[in-house]
Amino acid sequence: MKLRTVIIISAMSLTAFILVNLASFRLPNPVPAGADAGKKVWQAYNCVECHTLFGNGGYVGDDLTHVIKKMNPEELRDYLVNPPVMRPNRKKHHPGVTQAEARDLVSYFKYVNTIPTLGWPPKPSRPGGNP
Amino acid sequence: MKLSQSVLGLFTGRRVRGGRALASGRMMGQVIARRFLLTAGMLFAVQGIVALLGAADLVIPDLPSPIPFEFGRSIHLGLATLWPFIGTLGLVYYFLVEELEHDIFSVRLANWQFWLVLLSSLGIYGSLALRIGNGREYLEGMPVFYVGICLSLALGALNFYKTLTSDRNAVTPASGVMVIGVFLLLIMLMPNIIHFSNPVADEGVKFWMVHLWEEMALELTTAGFVASFFKTTGMARPQDVEKWLYLEVTLTVVSALFGTGHHYFWIGYPAYWLVIGFVFSVFQLVPVVFLVHMTYKGLKRRVSTGRREKLALWLILSSLLYHVLGAYLMGFIISVPWVNLYMHGTFLTSGHAHLAVFGALGFLVLGGSYYCLSRGSEPDERSFRMGVLAVLALNLGLLLMAGSLLAGGLLQTYFWRVLGMDFMQVMQLVRPYLVLRMAGGGLFTLGDMLLGWQIFKAWKQTRPGSACAHPAD
Repeated sequence: MKLRTVIIISAMSLTAFILVNLASFRLPNPVPAGADAGKKVWQAYNCVECHTLFGNGGYVGDDLTHVIKKMNPEELRDYLVNPPVMRPNRKKHHPGVTQAEARDLVSYFKYVNTIPTLGWPPKPSRPGGNP
Repeated sequence: MKLSQSVLGLFTGRRVRGGRALASGRMMGQVIARRFLLTAGMLFAVQGIVALLGAADLVIPDLPSPIPFEFGRSIHLGLATLWPFIGTLGLVYYFLVEELEHDIFSVRLANWQFWLVLLSSLGIYGSLALRIGNGREYLEGMPVFYVGICLSLALGALNFYKTLTSDRNAVTPASGVMVIGVFLLLIMLMPNIIHFSNPVADEGVKFWMVHLWEEMALELTTAGFVASFFKTTGMARPQDVEKWLYLEVTLTVVSALFGTGHHYFWIGYPAYWLVIGFVFSVFQLVPVVFLVHMTYKGLKRRVSTGRREKLALWLILSSLLYHVLGAYLMGFIISVPWVNLYMHGTFLTSGHAHLAVFGALGFLVLGGSYYCLSRGSEPDERSFRMGVLAVLALNLGLLLMAGSLLAGGLLQTYFWRVLGMDFMQVMQLVRPYLVLRMAGGGLFTLGDMLLGWQIFKAWKQTRPGSACAHPAD
């Protein structure tokens, strides 16, 4: 095998990989302006360091991919604008955002909830239950 | 003179003529490599402290800190990504000129690259400390700094390419492979400077850097060090190394590219990625098996090595251990879609990631940094013992750290994912394991500081003009 063969195989694999990726980026619905603004708020506050989306991110906080199913939009907005103390701390609060940012973040969560995740996260055997 | 040559001349300055060595016995490419390698060693030492503080923040309630946890973690991830990257660039400079037996094309380009990558990295850490970032995991810095890193990679790729092609007869498999690796680093990072509104594309492209830097491009750039080490210590015959290199590269590139699929299972990609991701993750094991086989044969030869080579070998063997167990064996198990369905997004992933990064890359870059920076010196008995102690502390610390994350992750998977207990309740159950992780982190940081000191000492002893320095062996 020669270096040239390695380069050709690598280039062909890379091209195929990029093309399959581009085909996989398709979304079920276009991203609304509010959700895009919400994504920017998500990034500006560095939320991914504590929470996961699609299971990717920090593991200190709960996964937020389907948070909109657990809390209604009003509850979520209130949580974000008037952040509670984070357990097990007694003083440290969850970071807070403005009303407008909370609205955008909720739009983003609503949008993320529509993305098909092939059955992840799995349905627990005893939802909310103890062992 | 052609216009393109004139423009290139403006950026590159005077060309270094082939084969010219400095009084220290090193070529300019190796002098510049030392800057990259020392920087990597020092950033690695800082990383241990930052990570330990983050681990403490998780288990000590209301721990006062000038930098909030979320930005501290960003700095930790930024360091974890960039110190091996900077180190591997140093390894490419060092072993490229050694393989080709002539110096780099342009010293000025190399200097520009060094300062650009250093300032961009410091810019990322500084702005994150001021709570300014871009909020993408592993790419938390402001995009402008990644533009800087792309630019530095482009300068490096040009310099390496011109060095390689200035004498086509001198091209060796290792030199070619390292340069391909640098081009791949650039190609995988470039799309990550764009803002994606599409969250699926955002996640997908992120792994071009997170997965493909570590498991593809950086494996190619460090291959030069592995090849050179095996050849110079007599652990493998040059023809065996050459055969291994070509197989390793081809299999690594193809399997790592499509093996990225195991990160794409649940992010909104089509279901066929479940098959692609799993199948190619199996193939990712093959190049590692070849490397283990070559190392086993090399160790059986019982070649006599000095203390310096022994210390580098301990680090290479540490890398191999976690490469096999942490990166590929465990990576393979968690790539099975119905296993991944439950463990994804838990501390199990975190345990795997810590083992994988030091197996695939971390220990190898540390071994390479020490090996190159100490060239021209031999550690005394005390320094050698300190070095061995550092390697032991790093290994035990990593095992304790990753082991507690894996145990905590198993509990988390069962109580949270399988039984459906409340997330915060489960976090309370997992807390003792996070305390153990912090203890492991403490031990690891101790080893990190000891090895950082050994690397610094080696650099200081082998500086031109230093009393201990003598021409390269």
